[in-house]
Order: sequence, then C-alpha cells, then structure tokens
Amino acid sequence: MTELDTRPAPARTDVDDLVRPDRVSGAVYTDPEVFELEMQRIFREGWVYVGHESEVPEPGDYVTRRIGREPVILVRSKDGEVRVLANRCSHRGNRLCNAEKGNSSTFRCPYHGWTFTNAGDLVGVPMRQGYAERFLAVREELGLAPAPRMDSYGGFVFASLTAEGISLREHLGSATGAIDRLLALSPTGTLDLRAGWMKHRMRCNWKMVMENNVDGYHALFTHQSVYDAVRPAKVSHVPTKVEVYVRDLGDGHSEIDYAAEYTRLDDEFVWFGRAPREKLPKYVAAMEEAHGPEATHKAFVVGPPHTLIFPNLFLAEMNIMTVEPLGPGETIAYTTPALIPGQDEMNERMLRRTEGAMGPAGFLIADDGEIGMRNQFGLAAREPEWIQLSRGIETDIEDETGIVNHDKSAETPQRGWWKHWSSVLNGRAPGAVSGSTGEERA
Amino acid sequence: MTVTAREAIDHGAQATRPEAAVEAFLYREARLADEARYSEWEALWDDDGVYWVPMGPDDDPHVNLSYIYDNRRRIKSRIAQLNSGVRHSQTPPSVMRRTLANLEVLDRTSDDRGTTVTVGANFALYEYRYDMNIWAGRVVYAVRIRADGELRLVAKTVHLVNAGGPVPTLAFLV
Repeated sequence: MTELDTRPAPARTDVDDLVRPDRVSGAVYTDPEVFELEMQRIFREGWVYVGHESEVPEPGDYVTRRIGREPVILVRSKDGEVRVLANRCSHRGNRLCNAEKGNSSTFRCPYHGWTFTNAGDLVGVPMRQGYAERFLAVREELGLAPAPRMDSYGGFVFASLTAEGISLREHLGSATGAIDRLLALSPTGTLDLRAGWMKHRMRCNWKMVMENNVDGYHALFTHQSVYDAVRPAKVSHVPTKVEVYVRDLGDGHSEIDYAAEYTRLDDEFVWFGRAPREKLPKYVAAMEEAHGPEATHKAFVVGPPHTLIFPNLFLAEMNIMTVEPLGPGETIAYTTPALIPGQDEMNERMLRRTEGAMGPAGFLIADDGEIGMRNQFGLAAREPEWIQLSRGIETDIEDETGIVNHDKSAETPQRGWWKHWSSVLNGRAPGAVSGSTGEERA
Repeated sequence: MTVTAREAIDHGAQATRPEAAVEAFLYREARLADEARYSEWEALWDDDGVYWVPMGPDDDPHVNLSYIYDNRRRIKSRIAQLNSGVRHSQTPPSVMRRTLANLEVLDRTSDDRGTTVTVGANFALYEYRYDMNIWAGRVVYAVRIRADGELRLVAKTVHLVNAGGPVPTLAFLV
C-alpha cells in the first residue's frame, strides 16, 4: 500500500469560493489544497470511523487501519479495553504492526527491538545500558501515542487525532437512529464484522464514493444494466408511486429512507430479496424471542438503514462501507456485510448478497466506481466551474427529522453533505479547532 | 468442488498433464473470456457450476466474503448484465489476453454425471482499459467429461496474487 508523505500545512484555509447552497465547484474533487485541508480539518480534527468492536473480540486482537493517512492499530488490550494507538514506534518511527489483523500481547519493533504492550506501554528497550539517565527518566512517556479521543456507539468505534472538540454523540447527532435501526435486526443487538473486507481501489475522489451512496437520482441510469437484464428495482423510482424519502439529517449525515414505503406495503424482507420467513426459521425465532413478535415484524418490515454518516461511514443496508482517501483522485472503498452473531443461515445469504451488489465485481458498485472515475476524468475540464445540486431544492421540507424531500431523486442529501463539509473546512463547525477568519458568504 | 490454492499445490506433487481434450477446453474458456464472448463462455458451464474468486487462499466461502461466488443462476445474471450493453464498467469491454501455464491434473473423480477432472494452472492476464492492468494467480478448474462426451465447466476458482487487495474493478470475466 502506498504511503503518502505528509505535506506542509495547507495553503488553503477555507472553501468559501467553492460552495454555494445549490452548487459546488468541481475543484472540491480535484484541488490538492482542498485535499490537504480535508486531511487536517476532517481527518485529524474531527471524528472518523475506525473499526468495529466485533473485529477485536478477545484481548490481544487487533486490526490495522488508517485515519486519513495516519496508520493506527485498533486493539483490545489485556485489560479488555479497546484502544486506538498510532502505528508508529516511539524510537525511530517505524510502522510497528504490519499485519492487517492478528492477536498479540506485545508489539515488537523489527528495527531495534523496542517492545510495547497491547495497551501501548513501552516495556522493552534492548541494550538499555547504552542510554543516558535522562532517557530512562522519560522512558515511561515513550508509549505508543493513543488517539486523543476515542469513543464508540453500538460497537462502531470512532476516533479523533485532536484532543479538543465535540463529543461523539454530538458528532453523530440524529444518525445514531440509523445505527439503532441496524442493530434492531440483531437478536443480540450486536453485529459481527469479520467476514473480510473487500478493498476496492477507485480512481476518484473519496467524497464521490460517499455522496453517491445517497444519490437517489443515478440508479436508473448507472445501474440500468441490473434493472434491464437482471431484476427490476425493489420499489418503483417514480416519486408519485412510492413513499421513499431522502433526508438531510444535519451534521453532514443523510439517507435514503424506504421505511415509510415498506411500512405501507407491510411486507417483510423487501430489502432482503423478499426472502420468506420459512427460509430463515432460526433467525426469525431468535428475533421473536429477543424482541417479541410485534417488534420483530416491524424490524423485518422497516429493514436496515441506507444512511451516510459523515465523513467516512456508510450503513449500506446490510453492508458496511468505509473509505480511505489516498489523494484527490484515488480512494480505497472497504466493504463488508453486517453479519448477525450466531445466525449462520442468515449470514451466508448476506455474504452472497454483498458479493452480488458490492465491491470490484459487484453488479452495482463496479459501475459506481467506473462512473466515479469518469467523473474525475470529466472534471479535468475546468469549465463550467459549477456542479449542479439544485434538484428538489424548492420542494425540501424541514421537519423534526431534518430536511426531507419526497422525491428520492432530489439532491437533498448532497446539499446537506456540502453544507456541513464547508462549515468543517472553514473551521466553523461546532467545536471547531482551527477557526477560519474568512467571512461567511451567501 | 472447491480446492484451496495450498491444497492444489500439495496435490500437484504427483500431477500429470491433462488430456488434450480437457486442455483444449480450458484454452477455449480462456479465449472466450478474453474476447468478451459472453454467451459462448456461459454455455461452457454445467448447471451446477460455481465461479469463485476468493479474497484469501484459505478462505471458506460459507464464512468469508469473496469477490465473486457465483452459482449457475448468478453466472447467468452476470452474463445478462454484461450482454446488456450498459454494464458501464465493461462498456467498452476490457481488451484482454491471458496465458495458462503449468497445467496439472490435481484430481479425477467419477459419478453418474461423468468424470470430473480437476486441473490447476498458473495464469497471467493482461487487461487494457484506459491503462494496462496485469493480473496473475492460480486458477483451479473442475471440468466434467459427461457421459455424452461433452465437456462442461463445473468449477472455476481464481486465486489472485493480489487477492489481499486493494484491487481495481473486476467486472470482466477473470
């Protein structure tokens, strides 16, 4: 995997010239200075999804990830606590842990043998008699750097590389409801994200990968081959015929919400290939035992969320997607199914559904990746400057759930994304660390 | 039938070359995939075929996510999508040429449907679409020689060298 240099502080300090309520400049996807500012304001100062507690179930279990460009270890330490530690030896900076996942009580640097516990404490310095007294005095401070902030919600672990800022709950805002909606489909209220991650290299900007997930306009065209040749869409795309909503949840989070349509139909598992209950007897029984028949029926009807959590987590119905930005025009998309602990019959179906839709060979995402790449190609033309995002702007309605539009193809989610994105990049989001002095422009 | 890369390597100790008809069948499969002759490629499959591209050499498709794990029905859907003309990630199709090498018979079994010959091979695939991509790996085929003398593909498992990822788009027939 390519390791990118950390560049000097970004020259750009705001994006006032790039974002309007109904359009954004193409430069948001292509400008290296915008990318640098994102690395600082979003991926260092803000909350970023790192991993899931189910990936490290036992003490010593770890997975290696990156927050922005910075390598970290998500580990369950000997004391049972989940920690996010910088994957960098405190001696000379060597990347300490080079496996994708594993179990270890200690991490030993292969360069000079410095050894750290899985809680990050420095416990071994070979040939230490060669060090002066003043080193031995500070030795205890030379542990692995923990992420200054770390918290989790429903097993989803988030971290920030900056000490000051809003709490995770404040960051998630009403998006916690989407996580709750997913967990409601598990008899134990927990998930298992250990089926393996598809890592799909996409030649487009990371934001294209994320926003496209809540674009209800593209499906009939980008995915025409599926609807024409394989199967029709699960529900109609014609707004007057369906109760499907797009929603800007605030704080950069947004969704396509099928709940009202599924509830109107009152059919179970429309979101799961309309699988009949008889095909999933153990899962149905476990759900009814855990939640009772009424809540179970409701969960099976309403189904999972289709919700984007700013900046890098997409609850893709029964899949989890996250992105690793490599540069303005290059991204790795990670996808895994949200397996349900102990529900093998359900989980094997889920594996097949994930492979069918997602990843580099998926019937859907392979084409999204292609379109993203062509978008990046097209944006190399500098004119016209603006990308149009006004669809549905006059029919948006604000209610207690956010800004909602009854037309699934409205660009309401994208408008919410860009509004929040610009406030974060401008240093004006709640709890911002590095505020911009630029004046707000209309 | 699924054979992991490691099992395939171990089996290879006493392996022999496949018979000419099986070898010719595999070269034809490679050529049809290279030339995006989708329907002709699909016709090579028997009704119980499984097309599998795992993410790890020891993965179990019942437990682990794969890039592709197509049963016969999904192979049909995949081909229908490619034939639609609007599978954007293969419109136009990748220009491809692949070579198969080191062919070895790993197993030979018989049942009432015929004799199934499991063949392991290495492959190199040159794929051009905007840029050249080079793919390589181990491919394990199960070819059924049916009672009527016809050959059909029962399994094709592709262990990519870069299965650990990240991988670019794999929408073509690998």
